[in-house]
Amino acid sequence: MLFYLVKRLGLAVAIVVLAVTLLFIMIQSVPGDPAAVVLGPRATPEQKALINEKMGLDEPLPVQLVTFFGNVATGDLGTDVFTQRPVADIVFGQMPYTIILILTSITWAALIGIPLGAYSAIRRNSVIDKIIGVLSVSAIAIPSFVMAVYALLIFAVQLNWLPAIGLGEGFWGGLRHLILPAFAVGVGWVGYIARIVRASMLEVLGETHIRMARSFGLRESRIVFRYALTLAILPTVTVLGVGMAHLLSASVFAEVVFARPGLGALIVQAVDTRNYPVVMGTVLVTTALFVISTTIADLINAALDPRVRESL
Amino acid sequence: MTARTRFTLDRRRFLQSAAAGTAGIVASGLPLSQAIWAQEGKVLRVRSYADINKLDPGFYQNAYNVSVMNCIYSGLMNYKPGTDWATELQAAESIEQIDPTHIRFKLKPGLMFTGGYGEITAEDVKFSFERVILQDSPMKDDWGPLNRVEVEDTHTGVIVLDRPFVPLWNVSLPYGVGHIVSKEAVLEATGDGGDFGMQPPMFSGPYVIADWRPNEVLILERNPDWTGQKPGFDEIQIRPIEDPQTAETAYRAGDIDFTHVSLSSLEQLNQRAPENTVIEERPSLYYVYLGMNMEHPKLQDINVRKAIQWAVNIPQLLEVAYFGYADVATGMIAPGLVGHRDKALIPPEGDLEKAREFLAEAGAEGLQLRIDVLNQAKFTTMAQVIQAQLGQIGIDLQIDVQDAGSFWTIGMETEGERWKDMQLILQRFSMVPDPFYATTFFTCEQVGNWNWERFCSERFDALNREATTVQDEEKRAQMYHEMQDLMEESGAYRFLTHEGAPFIYRRTVLEPATRPDGRALYRYFQPV
Repeated sequence: MLFYLVKRLGLAVAIVVLAVTLLFIMIQSVPGDPAAVVLGPRATPEQKALINEKMGLDEPLPVQLVTFFGNVATGDLGTDVFTQRPVADIVFGQMPYTIILILTSITWAALIGIPLGAYSAIRRNSVIDKIIGVLSVSAIAIPSFVMAVYALLIFAVQLNWLPAIGLGEGFWGGLRHLILPAFAVGVGWVGYIARIVRASMLEVLGETHIRMARSFGLRESRIVFRYALTLAILPTVTVLGVGMAHLLSASVFAEVVFARPGLGALIVQAVDTRNYPVVMGTVLVTTALFVISTTIADLINAALDPRVRESL
Repeated sequence: MTARTRFTLDRRRFLQSAAAGTAGIVASGLPLSQAIWAQEGKVLRVRSYADINKLDPGFYQNAYNVSVMNCIYSGLMNYKPGTDWATELQAAESIEQIDPTHIRFKLKPGLMFTGGYGEITAEDVKFSFERVILQDSPMKDDWGPLNRVEVEDTHTGVIVLDRPFVPLWNVSLPYGVGHIVSKEAVLEATGDGGDFGMQPPMFSGPYVIADWRPNEVLILERNPDWTGQKPGFDEIQIRPIEDPQTAETAYRAGDIDFTHVSLSSLEQLNQRAPENTVIEERPSLYYVYLGMNMEHPKLQDINVRKAIQWAVNIPQLLEVAYFGYADVATGMIAPGLVGHRDKALIPPEGDLEKAREFLAEAGAEGLQLRIDVLNQAKFTTMAQVIQAQLGQIGIDLQIDVQDAGSFWTIGMETEGERWKDMQLILQRFSMVPDPFYATTFFTCEQVGNWNWERFCSERFDALNREATTVQDEEKRAQMYHEMQDLMEESGAYRFLTHEGAPFIYRRTVLEPATRPDGRALYRYFQPV
């Protein structure tokens, strides 16, 4: 297990370095001049050159890349070209909002999706199974941003039950402001999780140990929850880990539509203004988040399933 | 011993209380979410189209930053809220032009900086204005030929110019660089008086920054040390919402009470405005035009450029892109400003026959061109209309949509060879209320910097220099008329529109105060 952990961490670092390097090359190859954006239309070429020098953009690409990773190793993600604030402060300041949004979205989706999928599998081919199937596929098929816009119009504008934008004050205020974005980001995942759990449950329910448990006369609820669902849930855990990347993307639209701060909104602005240090810092952190979440999913899988543990 | 009161709440009582509470809220006219979470005090909740990123007035860059600076700093004078361009005294008790290059001001006594930095003095005014030049700020042109500020006594000083500079009254004094900061505070914070970025070491206006949560909200609170005119609201919450549709939704949901809206929403808003909402439309200072790179081989012949100018039917284009809510521009300079032309040289509708004649004269039948546009719906729509219009005279136009970072460097020589490849471009620039600010980007010196059409005229440059010194408004206007004529005659420009600046607000909450172009002056907003 320890070797596995070390191996996964090594791989994680390699993925982060590769992703950031690729992005570094990409953003340098597209047109755009951060100095022009920073200084505005009145800037002279000399002032622009000075800014480029300050940002290290006058150096050759490999030098810039090495400098960037060297700084990252010391915890320095650079400086925002506009506000002169440390990028690390900006990124880590915005990160909790995105993580809270993602975790809330995925949690409520799992809390509803898993029972729905399990119930569907137990009542296979029943009317309720078919209704859940139709609803699940519909939830997956409707784009999240469409869901977001309509949820906003219905619950915030028409009914005035929930606030439309921002984070809110305090715990309850924050919770109220989280409902609509988390609903929009997570609703597709309800259907997705329900379908995965259903398929997985059907497979597990047909296995020998379940038939054996039934022949021993164990209660059906014990068979379902203790022996079937714990195994059937494993693919869902893996999918949720990988799904972090999708959720990070989904958080971009949610943060824009609901005017919430977060990494998604931050990166969109930074790319638009060619704010390279913020782009790089945000991508570094989001890539790391993705790698960490997949690693955690693998470790949870290993902890839940002895077969996975043994194969390590 | 503490006395306790025991409350019992059965179902009937609960329903009675809930019904009474809801009825109260409904009667108050507040959206439910707003009523439940409303806070004490007079709070103004508004939207900004971007988050603040610069609070040093000497180095300001954007209008949305200046809107905040207006609240936290004071200038000698400011724009007077209303529908006509005018200024009024702010920190100055008096200000007068002694001669064309000398302006004497006298400060109101007793106006204080926060943080224990004392009274606002003429020495602070001198420091605030001169540092813009001394620190080589990108905004130093706003001060034009400022030479120095002479301090006469604690409250009196004289602004000394190298030559007359009329925009000083319209831009320098009432706008960004005209705000006053404390010499002592800034030197303490920066060492050399340079850019203090996002960390104001003091405030000199009716509000102070209470909290800034990046990308979420900026909260301004009353400045307890402020001795000037008391502002209307106790607190101002400015929420950065980039997308206008999101802002409109936030307004409808009751999360904000004042926002600018897009022209494309006006039709719907006019038909179904939210309750207690006032919709106001103001002429904006933006200028949108179709530009042509005069040095591109395909566009070097003036007849080709003129063919394009005459082929573009502006009313048709505005009807599609702005749903008929934007007026045709006659030049760069918007209505209400000195130098605004009554009409352009080429009629708004153009003339296809004339366009075909120019194209035939150039011998450029079957011409293929490209237009670069910003990735926003209105610009891509306009480009598509232009594509169709040019198609009528046989020009095949390809549309190249670009993101902001890429678009705003297309014509810059510092960005390599891209400018050579630029052909047509759909441009939109913002303005401050002086014509100098528009024309100054189209001089020969600006070719390859912001003058992407590469228009260069000695006469234009001479007029541009001279027009800043002419105090006679009529004469000055004529000079700007001629400059716009020269631009149009070059064939490189087809001026399209100034767009518009509609905004909405809840009349039960506030009475807004804006400049004639709709820009909000929050410090003068009044609660209802």
